[in-house]
Amino acid sequence: MPLVVVCIAVSVTIVDRAVSAQQTPPATPRTPRSSAPVDLTGNWVSVVTEEWLWRMTTPRKGDYTSIPLSDEGRRVADLWDPSTDGSCKAYGAGGLMRIPTRLRIAWRGDDTLNVETDAGQQTRTLRFDRAPATGARSLQGHSLAEWEAIGGPPVLRNGRAIGAAPPQGGALKVVTTNLTEGWLRKNGVAYSESASLLEYWDRVAFPNGDVWLIVTSVLSDPRYLVNDYTTSMHFKREADGSKWRPTPCRA
Amino acid sequence: MEAHTVSRVTRTLLAAAVALLSAASLNAPSFAQGQAQATPPTMVDLAGSWTMSNEEELLIRIDPGPELGNFTGFPINAAGRQKALSWNSTIQAIPEHQARPHPAQYSMRGPGPNFHMGEIIDPVSRRLIGYTITGLFENANRTIWLDGRPHPSEFAEHLWNGFSTGVWENGMLKVTTTHMKQAFLQRNGIPSSPYAVMTEYFIRHGNLLMMMSQVDDPIYLEEPMVRTQTWRWNPNQREQPIGQVEIAEELPDLKPGDVPHYPLGTRHPEYADANGLPFEATLGGRDTLYPEYVDRLREMMRATDKKGSR
Repeated sequence: MPLVVVCIAVSVTIVDRAVSAQQTPPATPRTPRSSAPVDLTGNWVSVVTEEWLWRMTTPRKGDYTSIPLSDEGRRVADLWDPSTDGSCKAYGAGGLMRIPTRLRIAWRGDDTLNVETDAGQQTRTLRFDRAPATGARSLQGHSLAEWEAIGGPPVLRNGRAIGAAPPQGGALKVVTTNLTEGWLRKNGVAYSESASLLEYWDRVAFPNGDVWLIVTSVLSDPRYLVNDYTTSMHFKREADGSKWRPTPCRA
Repeated sequence: MEAHTVSRVTRTLLAAAVALLSAASLNAPSFAQGQAQATPPTMVDLAGSWTMSNEEELLIRIDPGPELGNFTGFPINAAGRQKALSWNSTIQAIPEHQARPHPAQYSMRGPGPNFHMGEIIDPVSRRLIGYTITGLFENANRTIWLDGRPHPSEFAEHLWNGFSTGVWENGMLKVTTTHMKQAFLQRNGIPSSPYAVMTEYFIRHGNLLMMMSQVDDPIYLEEPMVRTQTWRWNPNQREQPIGQVEIAEELPDLKPGDVPHYPLGTRHPEYADANGLPFEATLGGRDTLYPEYVDRLREMMRATDKKGSR
């Protein structure tokens, strides 16, 4: 009999805990910051292992290797004046992440991520509030951000939607519009005001302890490009901001 | 009779206790989470045909390929640099090197590749136990095992595609590849040793597939080499036939035992000269990969009387 009593007591306790847990008042609404599936904040540095020639130096006038320029885009690129090297136009959202730079990423409030660069001293504002673009166009444009489960949205195979697994992990999806004309490279290869930028921001960790931020970027520009311009940039996490060295661009 | 009654009551109460415990386990997620509960990892469907959609380094990843002496962007050490400077493209004409596939350390980089990712399904459990990647250069197709099998002994044979296992990590497929052959990281002789280990992340965003690779090579690199590639899902893509290569004698004057190479101490300044760069800057190395090198490069270019803007 004592065994039976113990069993019942334990069971009642467990059920009581379960019911209590389910009756807990709903938590306060989750903000983009509190619901972040991945932590992108901190200090990061570009590691230029790809397109070194075109990123570490100012390419020669007319060198638009690998960029799917339209005739109009080529015409504009050929107008570049080398004396404008260092212009802030090379630091617009469409080209900024390809500049060798350090990044400082931090939350501003609960629904905005700030991305600062020391090269060119730019700040990108990634907003989760879904507010439409208002006001004048700008170099960094209007960036709407949202968390997206890796793999999602549901993908198609043979024309049919594949059943989505429960989301796990996640990435940051950013769509940027309302841009002024800027440069994809320091030699004036340009994107137009009609451009829009889609980005996915991922974070991964490797066995040697290195943590990386990857920004996959798809730039669409019906005026200066014949195809989407797809690139991916990687930034290694740094312990602190001791190597942060702000360098302005030329207005 | 009384004993029988007690026994019946005991059984009834025990049954009630078991029922309560069962109910509790079904209805107490917060409690269950405190226990060692195995949550199956989220698997993202990577199967299908993928077309390279990354515009970076197009002329390097396709033909004509990288220039001799262009080691920019690679964290090679002195040994790697020495081996790369002695590499002579004529070596590809000797019979032993003709029709060589690309190694796993490079094959996801180019040309293309436009590949198909296929599922390996266990015939009994119907579980996904692996992926194949087919369509790689000269059939150096890869298999990524997802069933938890160990990597072979360190004495096992090294292959062009190495030996790859994968695990799911927050919706990303993390792949570890060992047992790769001594080969190259770039098609201009930048070497990769058989001791290299490659880690890759395959990350799917809708119809985009991004892959980041890190090659850790204690012999030829100062720090691991990382690269990223992007593909777009393309259900209409069909694999190209495997290139048919006939081994032929292309170097009739080569003496038996000779290996085409440049002697130690050779410099290849052509790439630097053609692009207005200091020769030193083209030799690669860890320090050349970071933003602070931009200023140093500018100073070197001024010192050598080359224009800061090429």
